[in-house]
Amino acid sequence: MEREAVVEVKNIHKQYKKRKSKEIVKAVDGVSFNVYKGEILGLLGPNGAGKTTTIKTICGLLKANDGEVFINGVDVRKERLKALQYISAVLEGNRNLYWRLTARENLEYFAGNRGHSRKSVQEKIDKLLHQFHLKDKENEIVSNLSRGMQQKLAIAVALLADSEVLLLDEPTLGLDVETSYEVREILKDIVKENGKTIIISTHDMPVVQDLCERTVIINKGKVVADENVENLIKLFETSAYSFTLGTPLSEKQIQMLDETIPIYEYIDDELHVTMEQEDDLYKVMDILKSDATSIEKIDRATVDFEQVFLTLIKDGEEDVVVS
Amino acid sequence: MSSFLNLITANTRKEFIELKRYFPNTLSMIFTFYFIFLAMLLGIHAIGDPSQAEMNIQYAIVSYVFWFLTLMALQDVGYVIMLEATRGTLEQLYMSPKGMWKILLSRFIGNLFLYSVILTFLLFLSMLTAGQWLNLKPTIVVPLLLITLVSIVGAGYMIAGLCVIFKQIQSFLQILQFILMGLVFVPLSVAPFLVAAPFVKGVDMIRHVMIENYTWLDFAWTDYAILIGNSVVYLLIGLFIYLKCEKIAMERGLLNQY
Ligand SMILES: Nc1ncnc2c1ncn2[C@@H]1O[C@H](COP(=O)(O)OP(=O)(O)OP(=O)(O)O)[C@@H](O)[C@H]1O
Ligand SMILES: [Mg+2]
Repeated sequence: MEREAVVEVKNIHKQYKKRKSKEIVKAVDGVSFNVYKGEILGLLGPNGAGKTTTIKTICGLLKANDGEVFINGVDVRKERLKALQYISAVLEGNRNLYWRLTARENLEYFAGNRGHSRKSVQEKIDKLLHQFHLKDKENEIVSNLSRGMQQKLAIAVALLADSEVLLLDEPTLGLDVETSYEVREILKDIVKENGKTIIISTHDMPVVQDLCERTVIINKGKVVADENVENLIKLFETSAYSFTLGTPLSEKQIQMLDETIPIYEYIDDELHVTMEQEDDLYKVMDILKSDATSIEKIDRATVDFEQVFLTLIKDGEEDVVVS
Repeated sequence: MSSFLNLITANTRKEFIELKRYFPNTLSMIFTFYFIFLAMLLGIHAIGDPSQAEMNIQYAIVSYVFWFLTLMALQDVGYVIMLEATRGTLEQLYMSPKGMWKILLSRFIGNLFLYSVILTFLLFLSMLTAGQWLNLKPTIVVPLLLITLVSIVGAGYMIAGLCVIFKQIQSFLQILQFILMGLVFVPLSVAPFLVAAPFVKGVDMIRHVMIENYTWLDFAWTDYAILIGNSVVYLLIGLFIYLKCEKIAMERGLLNQY
């Protein structure tokens, strides 16, 4: 069955000119992906990968140098305001709220700016305040709220818009484990209840593993993977091995590993390697054989998502695309 | 249309809440204006030639009120955009499907409305204290004022546009108060070319009404044409410049540089 793409990002390019040096930075360099109805997509990438730039281009806050973005078929470049009816966003950092207004006043003000009367949103506001456990803080000035509460409120403001697509740029950054968990649970509920389409940009692996079915990983402005999260982990599991060694590796062996195996880890008597090609396994065996290292055990390693991510962004330099 | 009304209500309410929440600030502003009005009503009367006194007071007060209103509308939009760019809320405003230009418009309207209410109240209070009653002629002055304010909104858009791109325009905003003082206090008869500047024609007509007792019929049709033309042209140019600046800011990623 053909799924309905709510957000279509087509080959966007965005470069900035640095103010002083006039040097050109390619923040996003040919990014394309689709997001389907009711999906939570994790937009993953290291610092400076271009996540925020991508998110802002989708919102129309940035105009791309090239490429197109469609929201429900509406071209963001040509009909920005129309497209914005379908989007709301929580942007990077704790900068989405008026710190001098109370929690409730913020909700009311932003609803007003989308053209809703104060009266018409009261019921929804109450519901959201309850859902986010902020009811007892509704009359508190935002600057007196904790970082976690501010973040929850920012998400509530975005949800009040009741738009089909929700964009969240690093929503759990700077939150403690507990609040981060709470935010994740709320987001899960929201998807279940309303079938919203959500794009989350993050470095936070648990967020992706816990929430997202699919992830688009970008590095240096390019997409390096666009995959179902489970498949991605499986794909890597088939190529990761751990060797339990009876004797330590020699300097020469380590040097040979450095040269031939892009990703490995050598701790105590354990050697973990991630293969790229089938014959990498034989190469490792050859290296071990060269100094007659004794091998006590070979296991298929269990891979966590973080390792997958790190592998992919290391490969990013050579444009290896997993798909 | 009703959604635009909601926009105006929301933005006026926000401004009002902030005035209320920072009451000491607001109060000191109110006191300053009360005493300035009072000083004008009592002081000018004491110094000047008695036959001229009424005229001087009227002139000073009309000019002063105008200066304050334009300053509030224009400086406020500049400072608020700079502030919101550093605090990050500016981008959230740009996320509204109504468009930032409408949010700005509703802020101008809310702002001008609130300050007009405060000024009117203070003016009455000081006239009451001084026991001096000026002839305010609201039936002519208010409509003329409303048309004149349209050109101020146009100028406001220009400043908003500059601010979105350049951000650091504090020094310009400082100078602005002197430019406005010049525009408001210098009579058109002295510098006729100022008719091309925003709101100068309007201030001039209002002074004619208050000081020389002009009625609707005492003005030539050209006066009205210039007044309305000036306002419409400034509004359109202002909006055009603002939208151009907005586009440039989005192309260069300037909406949140701090
Ligand atoms: N306004 C700007 N002017 C100049 N360069 C910029 C601007 N915004 C971003 N960049 C550069 O573009 C690149 C991508 O930045 P972006 O903020 O999109 O990355 P990110 O993936 O969101 O990173 P982070 O995890 O740090 O938030 C970076 O090299 C950054 O320095
Ligand atoms: Mg970012």
